[in-house]
Amino acid sequence: MVEMVSRPYATAFEKFAAGNPDILCLSADLTSSCEIDGFRDRYPDQFVSMGMAEQNMLSFAGGLGLAGFRPFIHTFGVFMYRRPYDQLMASIAYPRRKVRLMGFLPGVTTPGGMTHQSIEDISVMRSIPNMTILETGDATEVESICEAADSIDGPVWCRVLRGSVPRLFDTPIKVGEMRVLSEGDDILVVTAGITTEEAMRARSALANAGLSIRHIHLHTIKPFDHRQLLDHIGSVKHGVVTLENHVTEGGIGSLVAETMADAGVGKRLVRLGLKDTYAHGGSRPYLMRYYGLDALALVRGIEGLMGQEFGISENDLDAARIDDVHSLVKAEAL
Amino acid sequence: MPEPSNVSLEVLKDRAKFIRTETVRLSRIAGAGHYSSTFSCAEILSALYYSQLRIEPSRPDWDDRDRFVMSKGHAAIGLYPVLADLGYFDPAELETYTRLGSKYGDHPDMKKVRGLDFSSGSLGHGLSVGLGIALAGRVQKKNYRTYVLLGDGEMAEGQIWEAAMAAGHFKAGHLVALLDRNGLCIDGHTEDIMSIEPITDRFASFGWGVQRCDGHDLPQVLDAFARLPDGTTGKPQVIVFDTVKGRGVKRMEMSLDWHVGNLVGEDYDDVMAELDAGLKPYEVEPAE
Repeated sequence: MVEMVSRPYATAFEKFAAGNPDILCLSADLTSSCEIDGFRDRYPDQFVSMGMAEQNMLSFAGGLGLAGFRPFIHTFGVFMYRRPYDQLMASIAYPRRKVRLMGFLPGVTTPGGMTHQSIEDISVMRSIPNMTILETGDATEVESICEAADSIDGPVWCRVLRGSVPRLFDTPIKVGEMRVLSEGDDILVVTAGITTEEAMRARSALANAGLSIRHIHLHTIKPFDHRQLLDHIGSVKHGVVTLENHVTEGGIGSLVAETMADAGVGKRLVRLGLKDTYAHGGSRPYLMRYYGLDALALVRGIEGLMGQEFGISENDLDAARIDDVHSLVKAEAL
Repeated sequence: MPEPSNVSLEVLKDRAKFIRTETVRLSRIAGAGHYSSTFSCAEILSALYYSQLRIEPSRPDWDDRDRFVMSKGHAAIGLYPVLADLGYFDPAELETYTRLGSKYGDHPDMKKVRGLDFSSGSLGHGLSVGLGIALAGRVQKKNYRTYVLLGDGEMAEGQIWEAAMAAGHFKAGHLVALLDRNGLCIDGHTEDIMSIEPITDRFASFGWGVQRCDGHDLPQVLDAFARLPDGTTGKPQVIVFDTVKGRGVKRMEMSLDWHVGNLVGEDYDDVMAELDAGLKPYEVEPAE
């Protein structure tokens, strides 16, 4: 049974930032939604409420960065780059300020629909010079995201999980590395964020079907160790399947495709994720099933790559985990 | 100019109650809902839709209709029942509220909802959209009004003030902003988080005509609508409605805990009974 950790970011951020006067915590009217309400109450001198004004907040953070502060900006991912994109580029990324952009509710982890789902952020951030991109896939990674981000000399985009988060790993994020979760030689599976847990759900069913899976989890998307990925691709016979909580254009599927094309690798690649579509609002397991981001979608993708069916159904997969609602009054929502 | 319908106060009160009870009912279908932000604008929506707007539900694309943009899109849960009630679509469709594939989500989608002029959900956009619609009407020699319902939290967004400046500059007399001044954003009181007062002076300085009244007192709301000048005066208009976030349900009034919530079991029944009894005078708890 997987260990579930409640609000790991709340605990980790406070432990990291408390008493460090160079760290400032910025919020845009989503303080409890980004789990920094406790920090606000206990460390008011390090907390700045900017109101619902993201453009101002980003350039303001660039100014703080010029003066030597390391601002940690908190809001939902979408609101941190769609509206204030120009401010992000000109006030933070180009001058290479040490601003840590903590983007909550990545991809379909919110029921809020199109306006609240950051489905193309990795694509956007990959194309910004000076930007580093980290994504959390479990509680240990959430617990180590602050140190990891703050080790970078420049801006860092972080996809952060909130609420009740499973613990899948026992070592912290080491920026620039990737996690090797299994070392099979038939198919390479590449996942990041919440799709890693999905791939792990399919592990035993795929093994029972006689497939030897090599599974890589990415917490660092930029910079990226292309050499190591190519070594893994060279270790499998049939090809690569990527699964991402993001559109397939510009995300980790594209990253793998570019790496293969640049090196002249002629293996098959199946990229799973949101396919040129906005997502509906709805609960996360529902959306992951509907848009083909879950364990069963991975199995079907592998079948497609192999050109054969393995007779695996939902019943053969490890049970999907349904998040606890942390209170009936304040349901996990927006 | 638009001719307000002659609807009785009793009807408007009843429709405001309907907006609140439907919000509670639909939230139960969804498992969560934006109660308090919707309750604060129930009287505004009731007066607007049942008395003020020049619309024909049988012709949602009628060129001369008044336009409405719900900039605070998270209150859509209170708008859908009104649109259904007026005949834009079958109320039974609301049983699918927020279900995958439903036309009716937490935030409103103009590509799906009959009678909805514009989508929203990302705050701060609505006043600019409304200005575009209003100026398009002027170019096309129409005399419809464009109403925009704003939340007071989103007044912190810079885009609101870009729109306010442009509306004054372009003398958009057919643009009417309705500000639901319920006092709270998600993190706390707006005046603590990012102050917006003196809000009427700010709009006035941008060239707007301003009014301010109690947004839960229907005669005052109707009177404010009646005082809107002819659009040809060239002054965009704002009505600041002083409201109470969560108005109508004691436990939610001016509470930070009910921006999003989920009433179940006895709580659901209690709240429905409280709403059914009608609005009681608003009382502020004495400070301890």
